[in-house]
Amino acid sequence: MTDTRPITLLIAALGGEGGGVLTDWIVSAAHSSGLPVQSTSIPGVAQRTGATTYYVEIYPVPRSELGGRRPVLALSPGVGDVDLVVASELLEAGRAIANGFVTAERTLLIASVSRVYLTVEKMQMGDGRYDAERLAKAAAQNAKEHLLFDMEAAAKQAGAIVNSVMLGAIAASGRLPIPAEAFETAIREDGKAVESNLRGFRAGMAAARDKLPAIIRHSDKRPAKPTLRDLEAETAALPEPARSIVVEGVRRLVAYQDAAYARLYLDRLKLFIDARVLAETARHLAVRMSFEDVIRVAEAKIDPARFRRIEGEIGAKDQPYVVTEFLKPGIEELCQVLPPRLARAILAYSEKRGWLGTVYFGMELTTTTVWGYLRFWALAKLHRFRPKSWRYHEEQIAIEAWLARVAAAAKLSPELAREVAECARLIKGYGDTWKRGAANYATIEARLIAPVLEGRIGLCAGIDAIASARTAALLDPEGEGLGKALAAIEAQVSLPLAAE
Amino acid sequence: MAERSFAKEVEALKLGDGETFRGEGILAVTKALLQSGVAYVGGYQGAPVSHLLDVLVDAQDMMAGLGVHLETCTNEASAAAMLGASINYPLRGAVTWKSIVGTNVAADALSNLSSPGVIGGAMIIIGEDYGEGASVIQERSYAYALKSSMWLLDPRPDLPAIVRMVEKGFELSEASHAPVMLELRVRACHVTGEFIAKKNRASARSGLNRIDTPARFDYARLAHPPLTFTHEKLKIDERLPAAQNFAREHRLNEFFDGDLKETGIVVLGGLYNTVLRALARLGLADNFGNARIPIYCLNLAYPLIPDELKQFCLGKRDVLIVEEGFPDYVEQAVAAELRRADIQTRIHGKGALPKAGEYTGEVVLRGLANFLNAAQPAGIDVGEIAAKAVRLLGHKGAAIAAVGDIPPRPPNFCTGCPERPVFAALKLAQREIGPAHISADIGCHSFATFAPFSMGNSILGYGMSLASAAAVAPNLKARPISVMGDGGFWHNGLITGVASNLFNKNDGVLIVMQNGYTSATGQQYMPSSKASRQGTAPGMDVESTLRAFGVKWLRTVRSYSVAKMAATLKEAMRTPVQGLKVIIADGECQLARQRRVRAEDAVKLKAGERVVGTKFGVDDEICTGDHSCIRLSGCPSLTVKPSPDPLRTDPVAAVIESCVGCGLCGEVAHAAVLCPSFYRAEVIQNASRWDRLLHRARQRVIGWLAPKEVAA
Repeated sequence: MTDTRPITLLIAALGGEGGGVLTDWIVSAAHSSGLPVQSTSIPGVAQRTGATTYYVEIYPVPRSELGGRRPVLALSPGVGDVDLVVASELLEAGRAIANGFVTAERTLLIASVSRVYLTVEKMQMGDGRYDAERLAKAAAQNAKEHLLFDMEAAAKQAGAIVNSVMLGAIAASGRLPIPAEAFETAIREDGKAVESNLRGFRAGMAAARDKLPAIIRHSDKRPAKPTLRDLEAETAALPEPARSIVVEGVRRLVAYQDAAYARLYLDRLKLFIDARVLAETARHLAVRMSFEDVIRVAEAKIDPARFRRIEGEIGAKDQPYVVTEFLKPGIEELCQVLPPRLARAILAYSEKRGWLGTVYFGMELTTTTVWGYLRFWALAKLHRFRPKSWRYHEEQIAIEAWLARVAAAAKLSPELAREVAECARLIKGYGDTWKRGAANYATIEARLIAPVLEGRIGLCAGIDAIASARTAALLDPEGEGLGKALAAIEAQVSLPLAAE
Repeated sequence: MAERSFAKEVEALKLGDGETFRGEGILAVTKALLQSGVAYVGGYQGAPVSHLLDVLVDAQDMMAGLGVHLETCTNEASAAAMLGASINYPLRGAVTWKSIVGTNVAADALSNLSSPGVIGGAMIIIGEDYGEGASVIQERSYAYALKSSMWLLDPRPDLPAIVRMVEKGFELSEASHAPVMLELRVRACHVTGEFIAKKNRASARSGLNRIDTPARFDYARLAHPPLTFTHEKLKIDERLPAAQNFAREHRLNEFFDGDLKETGIVVLGGLYNTVLRALARLGLADNFGNARIPIYCLNLAYPLIPDELKQFCLGKRDVLIVEEGFPDYVEQAVAAELRRADIQTRIHGKGALPKAGEYTGEVVLRGLANFLNAAQPAGIDVGEIAAKAVRLLGHKGAAIAAVGDIPPRPPNFCTGCPERPVFAALKLAQREIGPAHISADIGCHSFATFAPFSMGNSILGYGMSLASAAAVAPNLKARPISVMGDGGFWHNGLITGVASNLFNKNDGVLIVMQNGYTSATGQQYMPSSKASRQGTAPGMDVESTLRAFGVKWLRTVRSYSVAKMAATLKEAMRTPVQGLKVIIADGECQLARQRRVRAEDAVKLKAGERVVGTKFGVDDEICTGDHSCIRLSGCPSLTVKPSPDPLRTDPVAAVIESCVGCGLCGEVAHAAVLCPSFYRAEVIQNASRWDRLLHRARQRVIGWLAPKEVAA
């Protein structure tokens, strides 16, 4: 039994993106074109930013030619039975692919390369973002035809919501037997935000017709400004990519402190010869040496470039605006800028009184007022006393200890050295987060790095173990992830050891 | 006032004879109720049937014109009990709710209704929340029909068929004196289509034409012994045959013929389209309902009509029963009937098809291939069919491998939701007081069971959190914390939880999220809302109600005050005071608030009045990308972006445009002693001359002080 089959369309979107309205536009346009049409959806609680889908079937023979017969249309998409899949977001396009709705025999996949990250992607201490390249590749591999473009950017540029851009792309795809005008009429008849929806619609049409290239957005990196030529010249002999990293490090540290500090950076790097070890170590070392103390924070807060960024973000052209900062230093933060001896005395006393981790000074400071600005300005002026501060002192000890581990590892294997260097990623943040990160590093150092360097754990097993422990700690910095990972690792590596 | 306006849909409800109704399935049901001359309608909101009530609330004038009484009940039990009006009076009535959960709540009233039976048609529209998109326990409402002798309609998901079943359902109820349930699955509620409308009918007796005298005392109308023994027999001896006769005469079930006569498919109405599509894909049907395998479509899912079944199965060697979910009630009933009639047709059902889970197109397609392989009907190439099924579905494995293991994207608190800060406070408080047993509940706050909070030890039903901690408290060293919304509080929690706790002098902590609406179902009004569908506030209040019940330890905390909420929680957990300790977390549903505030601001902006817009931001040069703020928030507007630092690879936090400036970011940064990256920016639109002067003066002084160049 063969006859004309319905044209099927699956829309994958997130709750709150107007997928319901988009579906209504399509249904209305199909109906006004005289075609039998049916849509279904599963709104439920998915309306609250969860993943959701809308499904439309259009019978491509006008009602007038069917002689009163009505097609039986399906309520849900069939695996391998969808002509057009439209996704407002790249991961949701991936989900449609994984569900089997995108096939090389049939499907045109139109998807946005923009991402709305899942909470589980955002909350990791490291980088939990799903591999966008893999999704884009899967789209190209699994669809008959595909069109990927940045719908979010197109919508923003048009001053519209993403659903109208999706409609434009659907109209221009030519997969539905409905003229573009019918979609425009649907928008007009709906009567809500007609102008902005039409702008979005046209932007979507243009993107689909021009087959916009799929560019996955990257934010602009902000490299430090060139500084002292003689220091930078010293890096000329270094191999790439280490050289550009070292240059960036030198520039950053000159600005962060002074030329002498940048010189210290270069001296520290002399321990490393292997190009990749040098690159990784140089990257982490520059970040570690430009640690975020209150002076650095104050300098960043009063940077004129920062106010220009904020003006852009909030769209303040000529309007007055007020910026309020949220700070809550504890005793340790206040001690950061004091001389080591004084700081230690205060900390010891505070610990005795139980103030550490309990006493904080919460403040909301307004950097757009003169008084608020002056407080940060004064803190920033402590810049030249930094090398005499307790925090500086502590950081240098920690950095030297870590560098020594990397250097020792480099003697055994460049791979091991890179893994040890990479563990610096664990130490970041402020306050409790910083402490937990530092503690996680210390744990990995004591239980894995030291045993590997001392030959108590085999090299290959050790490299893997350090990498997996670090991943576990980044994945779940506050939980039991690292403990469990270490236990599993130790159970594994102790076996061959016992056999030796 | 619900989340969306139904002004357009209300117009569709007014259509007259011969006019074409176009719209959603659940609204077609609403129109069909009016065409059937109902005197009263009630229910409790919940996906997928919320729209039925929402549209009627928006259609109050028209309803008044027809004399239809509308009740937005406080729970499903109260809705089910409304049907009691049809026990004594010739009034047609309908109630609606989300099932299985709503039917569970309504069960007591339903038993007591179906025992004496009805004289006016009584219909229960249930949204069968099963399969993709469902938010409740996966059980079949069928069990209730079966045990209480209510009839269950499961119409083909096609608007004319649905409307006909509503209309016929009332007649069926009256002909057999039993209540009738009409079930629609999630997608059937939201399917769009059209049907030829009829004029709305006013009930002969209604608010417009009230009944002169109350019904005379009739013991037979009471679900009370000894009459309950008589009712039990009546159900079997009179009502069941009456229903079967009516269904047969009015052809509620449908037969579709086919040429492969030694096989057949018995399918529940709601699954008909799925079966048809699967057959079409296998080349065994066209797209207009002409299939090669004969089909018996059960629009009346319960009871089964033995004569029809026998007529269908006679001469067939193999029959497939397509019935979603477990237990396989229909399959068992068919097997018993055929056995009794000594008909030797082989039954295929669960086996060819899976025992549990939704019958999607993919599942049914595989099931049909399995069935045909087992039945081996003459006239088709079964091997070719099996190969076709593999061809159609075979790519899925490679597709999954290509994209990898994509984590689910569950719903989340909206941007600026007042409930998110409460869980941030709860997470922070637990760092000090240690982990607590969290008794969770139904409502938006159950999103706290997802990342980044991942909180909640049990969910026992809507408004049940406090009650479900009753036996936890005496067995645990630390007090359990129960979380309940104000919707759940009025639905069930006040009596089931609070009263029972106080009555038993139990210990414990209860957080009531007071946001002013039943928000998860689409922001309907409830008893303590600030307004109602009639306009004025209903006048009930959570705090004064709790005081009247005798709660002594009671604090109301603004939900965005994270530090204060955390401190209050710690106090509640540590205080030596025994008894129930209630914290009311007060903060209006942000969706509702935004809708109001945006409209107000737009008016002000137009009028040239001063408006301050607030947005939060993260200094990307101070953020180190540790994301601890996200682990305490999960706000959709607080996300990540690539670090601008050339030496860092991990992304940094970022606040995107959708931020509504709720203040949580600042509160969390403070309460958690996070990091100094967060700032609040307030832009003054239509600024006064003083605002501008002050801003300019400040900018000038700051300009003098500012460093000429501060590199990153």
